[in-house]
Amino acid sequence: MDIRFALETFWSLLAALPLTLELAATSIALGSILALGLALSRLSGILALDLFARTYVFLFRGTPLLVQIFLIYYGLSQFPAVRHSIFWPLLREPYWCAVLALMLNTAAYASEIIRGGLLSVPHGQVEAARACGMGRFMIFRRIVMPQALRQALPGYGNEMISMVKATSLASIITLMEITGVAAKLISESYRVIEVFVVAGVIYLAINFALTRLVAFAEHRLNPKLRAPLPISADLKGETH
Amino acid sequence: MTEPGFLDIISFGADGWGAALAAGAWMTILIAIAGFAIGGLIGTFGAWAKISGGPVVRGCAEAYTTILRGIPDLLVIYLFYFGGSAVVTAVGQLFGAEGFVSLPGFIAGALAVGITSGAQQTEVYRGAFRAVHPGELEAATACGMGRLLKFRRITAPLTLRYALPGLGNVWQVVLKESALVSVTGVVELLRQAQIGAGSTSRPFDFFFIAAMIYLAISTVSGLILQVTERRFSRGVRRG
Amino acid sequence: MNMSAAVTAPVAIRVHDLHKSFGPVEVLKGVSLEAREGEVISILGSSGSGKSTLLRCINMLEVPNSGTIEVAGEAIRLKTSSDGRSRPADQKQVDRIRSELGMVFQSFNLWSHKTVLENVIEAPVHVLKRPRVEAVEEAEALLAKVGIADKRNHYPSHLSGGQQQRAAIARALAMRPKAMLFDEPTSALDPELVGEVLRVMRGLAEEGRTMLVVTHEMGFARDVSSRVVFVHKGTIEEEGPPQEVFTRSKSERFRQFIKS
Ligand SMILES: Nc1ncnc2c1ncn2[C@@H]1O[C@H](COP(=O)(O)OP(=O)(O)OP(=O)(O)O)[C@@H](O)[C@H]1O
Ligand SMILES: [Mg+2]
Repeated sequence: MDIRFALETFWSLLAALPLTLELAATSIALGSILALGLALSRLSGILALDLFARTYVFLFRGTPLLVQIFLIYYGLSQFPAVRHSIFWPLLREPYWCAVLALMLNTAAYASEIIRGGLLSVPHGQVEAARACGMGRFMIFRRIVMPQALRQALPGYGNEMISMVKATSLASIITLMEITGVAAKLISESYRVIEVFVVAGVIYLAINFALTRLVAFAEHRLNPKLRAPLPISADLKGETH
Repeated sequence: MTEPGFLDIISFGADGWGAALAAGAWMTILIAIAGFAIGGLIGTFGAWAKISGGPVVRGCAEAYTTILRGIPDLLVIYLFYFGGSAVVTAVGQLFGAEGFVSLPGFIAGALAVGITSGAQQTEVYRGAFRAVHPGELEAATACGMGRLLKFRRITAPLTLRYALPGLGNVWQVVLKESALVSVTGVVELLRQAQIGAGSTSRPFDFFFIAAMIYLAISTVSGLILQVTERRFSRGVRRG
Repeated sequence: MNMSAAVTAPVAIRVHDLHKSFGPVEVLKGVSLEAREGEVISILGSSGSGKSTLLRCINMLEVPNSGTIEVAGEAIRLKTSSDGRSRPADQKQVDRIRSELGMVFQSFNLWSHKTVLENVIEAPVHVLKRPRVEAVEEAEALLAKVGIADKRNHYPSHLSGGQQQRAAIARALAMRPKAMLFDEPTSALDPELVGEVLRVMRGLAEEGRTMLVVTHEMGFARDVSSRVVFVHKGTIEEEGPPQEVFTRSKSERFRQFIKS
């Protein structure tokens, strides 16, 4: 392996890192909001909402992400109504098409994870909150959501890693994120192994950091993993 | 040339794209089956390495699954497509061929999909093996079965039963992943839809039909898997 | 005339002609019950007779099909929605009345992501909007009273069942409730842990708190309660002071029930 070439490759790929991270972060953040909406629709008991969410999840989980990206990036331009709409300046940008597709896709998977988390909260705890006179919204915010989050976090961590990997598909619609740059370097230099190893190391580093971050958050959120809090004199003084 | 309507796209007539799309779908299924089978071989081996390999073998298996879980599938496809072509070219030049020879996309794609799915199947088989009651395996040894006989008659069938639900998930992933092989130029379903989209002005229709075909394949194969699972898991404890 | 104080005390909870069905099954068939302030009423009955349902209707965890419920003289307003089911007319009123009633469940239902102390101060701070410092002070006194002051910073999963139930009682008390509802508070406990919870409940009874207790503990019903109510198939079959009903009940079923 040519160290000098690998180093050059490393710097070129590193320059593409921000775009990869940006794609992943934006779509995960926007997708989580949509996912929460879908999960709540599934659990709302309102037939129309439930049916919509079910269909959504079925469609987005049953088809390849690349098809979804193509449908949005190439497909939507077929309709004059879209081309003349105010969204066109965004929808003809590969960046926003990629974000849109990634976000819609992750929302389908994440909604199932969130739904599982919400369902894991024992109903008795909700009843206890009701018996204390808490309103629906307060129960959701203070009792259900914190526990659902804790339960869903490991699964959500895996989904976030999938999303980081999925950003590579943006290269197919011309975005020069890490995989896009890697493909370009390979086709210019034909040094497949070097480029692959360097790109792979960068992705592994991102996902390793992400795993640690999720593990840390999980630890912070999980009282069961923590020893009973010490009863110290100063802690007592603080609350008085 | 006249613009085709939506119905022309799916029609099997002379001007229709139906036959081409069906051929693409068939190619998609072939890639998925080949990738899944390769992954099954690797997965069996990987699970064996993780369960009963020495520290070095186990470490290698661990590294393999960790790496494949962390890097994009598309990158692996590029590795096999370009890397494989480089190897083929080098071999070709040894035999006096001129210029660049590219590895057929089907082979590169199936290998790449196989390698990624192998990592997933390793975990599925390992988990399934853990679910098998150790007593049943001991009983086989007590009957005087040799290692190979025990694996073939007892261990493998028992593990497979527990692995079926997980394998179903892996199959669905493989099916969707096969769409990435279109970057190598193999005319599978998505590539065929791209060709259609490019030669008409109806990209949405083509990709939409492709999406529906993927959905149909995954739904039908999901149903088949469900039936199989029910048939094979007779007598299996339900957790 | 030998009228006990309880008879002249104001009514804390009044239930009148309560009907409740789950689907086609009528679980409560016209139940009427009055609890005066300071009374401890034990609700007995075999499994499935509707005891829990009665208790849960009082704080609207189940919405009755018809009948009236008054808490401290205030009737809970119900309305019939378009699909023919009855529901609370004013959710705010229900939430407020719930905050005036403390409920203790068979399965404790402590919030597992909060420490014991956090469980106790949660509703006082966020529902009643009491100052946090004050709520903590009161919570600590309550935890001392139920005997688990040293567990204040533990999470529920680190406690025994008896300790969890005592924490749940402290949580209910922290709302300064006008009446306490107990739904089989000792049924989920190992036998050796039942005593510590019953002791706490006995202490509350002696303080003069109004309590409605669904229980299978005959000793508690006989010694602690001022009145016993026997529910059978959704109606009240027998009712009276424990000395009377336990020795000379007219109901053959009740005599059968206490024998078994
Ligand atoms: N949410 C519900 N949906 C349908 N049926 C219910 C529901 N809750 C209770 N029931 C039924 O109503 C009847 C009375 O139930 P309830 O819980 O009030 O009995 P209980 O007297 O408390 O019995 P136990 O001693 O077992 O707790 C039972 O037959 C039960 O199956
Ligand atoms: Mg009950």
